[in-house]
Amino acid sequence: MALPVSADATPAAPVRSVSARHFVRLKLRVMGNNFRGQGWRIALFVGGALLGLWFAAAGFFLFAAPGLTGDGRYAVLIAAAGGGLLVLGWLFLPLVFFGVDETLDPARFALLPLPRRTLVTGLFVAALISVPVLAVLIASFGLVLTAWSLGGWSAGLVAVVGVLAGILLCVAASRAVTSAFATMLRSRRVRDLAAVLLAVTAALLGPLQIFGLAALREADWTRLTGVATVIGWTPLGAPWTVGIDVAQGRVWAAPVKLLITVVALGALLAWWSRSIESAMVGAASAGKAPVRRGVTGGAVAQLFPRVATWAGRDRFGALVAREARYWWRDARRRANLITIAVVGIFVPVLINVTGGDFAFEDGAGFTAAASDSSPVVVTISMLLVGVLAAVTLANQFGFDGSAYAANVVAGVPGRVELRARMTAFSLYVLPMLGVVAVVLSFLLSRPEWIGLTIGGLVATYGAGLAVNSLISVLGAYSLPETSNPFAMNSGAGLAKGLLTLLAMLASVVAAVPMVVAAALLGDAWLWLALPVGAAYGLGAALLGAYLAGDVLDRRQPELLATVTPRR
Amino acid sequence: MTVEHPALALRGLAKRFDGTIAVAGVDLDVPAGSFYGLLGPNGAGKTTTLSMAVGLLRPDAGSAWVLGHDVWQDPVTAKRLLGVMPDGVRLFDRLTGAELLAYNGLLRGMDPAVVDQRAAELLDVLALGDAGRTLVVDYSAGMKKKIGLACALLHGPRVLVLDEPFEAVDPVSAALIRDILTRYAAGGGTVVFSSHVMEVVERLCSHVAILAGGTIKRVGTIDEVRGGRSLEQVFVEVVGGRTATGEELSWLSQ
Repeated sequence: MALPVSADATPAAPVRSVSARHFVRLKLRVMGNNFRGQGWRIALFVGGALLGLWFAAAGFFLFAAPGLTGDGRYAVLIAAAGGGLLVLGWLFLPLVFFGVDETLDPARFALLPLPRRTLVTGLFVAALISVPVLAVLIASFGLVLTAWSLGGWSAGLVAVVGVLAGILLCVAASRAVTSAFATMLRSRRVRDLAAVLLAVTAALLGPLQIFGLAALREADWTRLTGVATVIGWTPLGAPWTVGIDVAQGRVWAAPVKLLITVVALGALLAWWSRSIESAMVGAASAGKAPVRRGVTGGAVAQLFPRVATWAGRDRFGALVAREARYWWRDARRRANLITIAVVGIFVPVLINVTGGDFAFEDGAGFTAAASDSSPVVVTISMLLVGVLAAVTLANQFGFDGSAYAANVVAGVPGRVELRARMTAFSLYVLPMLGVVAVVLSFLLSRPEWIGLTIGGLVATYGAGLAVNSLISVLGAYSLPETSNPFAMNSGAGLAKGLLTLLAMLASVVAAVPMVVAAALLGDAWLWLALPVGAAYGLGAALLGAYLAGDVLDRRQPELLATVTPRR
Repeated sequence: MTVEHPALALRGLAKRFDGTIAVAGVDLDVPAGSFYGLLGPNGAGKTTTLSMAVGLLRPDAGSAWVLGHDVWQDPVTAKRLLGVMPDGVRLFDRLTGAELLAYNGLLRGMDPAVVDQRAAELLDVLALGDAGRTLVVDYSAGMKKKIGLACALLHGPRVLVLDEPFEAVDPVSAALIRDILTRYAAGGGTVVFSSHVMEVVERLCSHVAILAGGTIKRVGTIDEVRGGRSLEQVFVEVVGGRTATGEELSWLSQ
């Protein structure tokens, strides 16, 4: 391990070389120190770990099913489809929901004399130390069991190699993609391009979902097995299917598939390493904004963006104007807006256009009965979109960070603060929701449902705003001050996931009356939905601001302390 | 008027974080119209004390009054009299300088016309007018301090509380900040600021308090605290002197 100390070299060669081991130990140490004296963090971590184990166990039995039943017919199908979903999940979930754990922020290593290869390997290995990786590892050993029971120990051994490679691929993919998008969103020049790219990538979810739905509906297993075989030859499915290939006598396929995986892994790591470099070097500022002179109007006129010119030149107006500017100027917030736009269009289209056979993932096996789209299904899909849009505000004060001190010092009343924040966010989201409603109605060739869709959207969005205001005051947490809009503090990923889940559940409950009304009232609801939904949404939002504002008034300093990054 | 009330009065302010005591009972009276320097080494509890004094951090014990108004019982009145520049200049830095001033002014319930006029003047005096549409996040450290000061001054507070206004500021900006503060104090305002730059404190302040280990070690007018010596000597003595470096770092010399 130790290199000989060279006597003559001017910068003395390091006595010991830095290896991935150091990064792993650093990560564990940082995680451990984060827990110190923070009981609730430990509780959250344990809770998250248990949740992860639960999913891991479920995944394990799914993957192991062909092996346990001794029926090899669908082994490839399950391995390819399940494994492919895993990889895609690692790709998209961090972008859309969870962010990446940036316990070890690459920018912190900028000054250390580390070769890039060492740095990337180290960060990569450190990224493997996480609960989700462990959960996937446990789940995917179901594949090993399948391969072993179908093809003996040699197949099982190959499956182990494949599964491990697959996990590496998952982590590399999530790192590379979030890092690349972070770089793009940071740059003032290509950030709009990044938005489009994000939308297109998310659009790729479409075919996948249709595939899944077709599987449920037609149950034409032979055809699906064919598709799965093809997926098995892409990086998405290759690592997961090698064990089964060996078990089923296609030994020659194993090295080829492993090679595919390794090449994909190498490409992803190379990509990641390039964007890491830009994150390290360009962290300070990605090019100065052009200095435009000849500014028109006074300071107040400059503060108000065009979308907020209607607002009064007072406290409320200033808050709305500042928030409206922030939703566009802050990369982190903009990433959230883009996500809403993407999810808002695709979720309802997929649910409704593919025939309403949408199986909820919560395990309850709930399936909308209608073979064609119905007002109830439409309302449910709108409920999802409205809730997803509103949940963005669950940590609205975390976006501000320590800058929130300005509002505390000025003694802004909580109700004004929350109403203004809701208003500014709605300036962007309501038009988006309107577009969603119109597009959906026309895609379904049911223009008379516009009222229904808008009503459902606005009602759930308003109810979601109310719930999330309260959560944003009580459950705020600090976001790391890095340039990566997807970065999370270690441990905060779980907190964020749980908080989001809680917020969404509560919002759904608050919006249930709309679904009930859609189910009970029949055709009359088509006309009532818009006015009732709008009134319900507005009323809920105002009530939420009223109640949560009171809490905020009492908790301002505490809130400031929780959103201030510890440093 | 409020002559009988000190500009800022702290009684028994205490705060602990995760078992470590940051501030252990600070009593302080800042006379109205004074220029008050809060000195202390890093980690002495200056920021914590000032945060509790202006309503940013809830104290575990003790209370704070601004011109006789309790900061924690009657925050609205107290905060109206206060102008604050928090540590690390926490600002909404995705706004331009002018936008930030307008935001702070309107947030304080000021008349838009007055905000416009004062913002233009402040930007001009602080030499920030050239920045134009540059976002505050792209400002230099000195410019950030200046815009932070402008935000604190905009609504014409009676008491100005500044955390490290001279840290990481170049001499030109520092001189400008000093001039503005002196003029503000001469006009009847009270300035309280924390620092560990002795020269600035010695040059500006009428009163000094030395904070170390979470308690006030010395307090009084600058002459009382100095007692004929230089402020630096007193400070080093109070805080616990420097350690001699003889043999220890011999490898530093090549």
